[in-house]
Amino acid sequence: MAKTEDTSEKEKNKNLKSAAKKGLKVMRKSKSKHPVRKGARIVKYGSSGFVRNIWLSSAATVVMAFTLIILFATVVASVILTNTADMMREKIDITIYLKPNTSEQRLGELTDVISEDSNIKSVETSTSEEEYEKFVAENADSEDIINVLDDEMKALMISKMQATMRVKVYDVDNLDSIKEIVETNSLFKKYVDPEKAPTYDVNQVEIATITSWARIARTGGIILAIIFLIVSVLIIFSTIRMAIFSRREEIYMMKLVGADKGFIRGPFLVEAEICGIVAGVVAATASYFFFMFLSPKLSNYGINVNTITEILESNKLILMYLVFMGIGIIVGRLSAWLAISKYLRKM
Amino acid sequence: MILVDSVTKKYPGDAKPALDSVSLHIEPNEFAFLVGKSGAGKSTFIKMITKEEIPDSGKIIVGGIDLDYVKKRHIPSYRRRLGVVFQDFKLLPRRTVYENVAFALEIAGMSGKEIRKTVPKVLELVDLLDQAKKFPSQLSGGQQQRVSIARSVARQPKILIADEPTANLDKLTTQEIIDLLKKINDFGTTILVSTHDESIVNTLQKRVITLADGKIVNDQKNNGIYKLDATPVPKESRTLQTPGHALKTKRKVM
Repeated sequence: MAKTEDTSEKEKNKNLKSAAKKGLKVMRKSKSKHPVRKGARIVKYGSSGFVRNIWLSSAATVVMAFTLIILFATVVASVILTNTADMMREKIDITIYLKPNTSEQRLGELTDVISEDSNIKSVETSTSEEEYEKFVAENADSEDIINVLDDEMKALMISKMQATMRVKVYDVDNLDSIKEIVETNSLFKKYVDPEKAPTYDVNQVEIATITSWARIARTGGIILAIIFLIVSVLIIFSTIRMAIFSRREEIYMMKLVGADKGFIRGPFLVEAEICGIVAGVVAATASYFFFMFLSPKLSNYGINVNTITEILESNKLILMYLVFMGIGIIVGRLSAWLAISKYLRKM
Repeated sequence: MILVDSVTKKYPGDAKPALDSVSLHIEPNEFAFLVGKSGAGKSTFIKMITKEEIPDSGKIIVGGIDLDYVKKRHIPSYRRRLGVVFQDFKLLPRRTVYENVAFALEIAGMSGKEIRKTVPKVLELVDLLDQAKKFPSQLSGGQQQRVSIARSVARQPKILIADEPTANLDKLTTQEIIDLLKKINDFGTTILVSTHDESIVNTLQKRVITLADGKIVNDQKNNGIYKLDATPVPKESRTLQTPGHALKTKRKVM
């Protein structure tokens, strides 16, 4: 009798376990098979969440817009400074003064000698006669000067005016090799005018200043942009985290009624992405008008704003808007993802 | 429908376990009250059923699902099979009454057409159809709880768990909520209500399971009466504490 009862209990336990397994299978299969429908709902709730939480959304958007503007300003400053420095470096040439009446043939020979240095970009030479012609051309408007330039005066001036060699280099920081050629080469030693030294020494301070500007623009600009990007992400992350923190109860409720992680996280990501898009548009528009307002003033100071102006006045402006929105979306989404993950860890 | 076998749960740092070898079986279509003083283990018990907490030992089978085999990624899917009503309503504050109810159906992947058909029916059941466009903050406590009930029954779950559903409500509203739960039970839903309100337990005269110090001290099948200060331990209830008893029960698990 006891044996029969045992067998019947074992059978019931077996049935019970099999029923429990079947139930589990049904439950696992009950997962939603409509990703498009789910996606549409997430977008719907994300956008309505953005509107309904307008104060927090606005705060996050404003912070993001400001950081995007700062980022833009940093990049623009870096580009402007680099371009201006490059422009000024372009203008720099070293003038080597040669003895008056150095012939064109000698100038050619000297050019060949100095051109052997790899730092030489271009060499322009000018004989004493050509220098005189330049002088006349430069003073064509000045009757007092032109009137005194008779043949006698011309001959005198040509005999006194140095022939010149204007040298442009790739690297203004590294002029030692050129100096060495000018000072040690026998041909140069013979023809360089000892009364007037080459201008590399005269422009040394200016060259050093421009060089340091360029260095700041290149390295400092990149470092500054990276620092601002990190700070921006942290500020936006904190703002979005605060927004999500205030809604942690909502997340908990969603979990309890059976919403899966994607359905909970999705609307928050969409909200953050909308923040990013709005912030991108606002920041791009503000940056555009701000730059357009400032650029004539900067140009007056001899600052090269051409590259940025060209971008802003062409079809690339759309690209700029897209980049701003893209950064906004990426930063917003990343921040929201990190912030919400904390609350989703324990389901 | 709900089978709990020798379940023990002790929270870290606590001297006594919150649940101590608890065993019980709630049948399909049954209406049961889980009663006991604060700290008796009612909320822990409910949390075990909703899989917010995991028992240290023992087995729980709910609606034919062995919770031991419900992995983390399947918890949302499992919870969608239950209806859960909370003491503090747990409504989404930034969504309307309609959207709160619809949310439960949307997460289950129901089509828009089905949702538009179902939500008004459910709101009519809880007598809140005319409040559909309002936000929870614009409703009274009783109305909010009715929205919570509407949300929990919208998916037509076989089991509805209510954790202190009347704790924040006045007497009249409490009666309304209990009547509503009774109505849902009449439609065939198994209902487990945790409460410490003896008046509603004694009025309804249904099964009453009494918890004290994490143990079941009384289990009155029908016409159960609960007195907050007196919790006698009948002999027949003690037998339920035998480990493995519930698994060996003759009742079929749904």
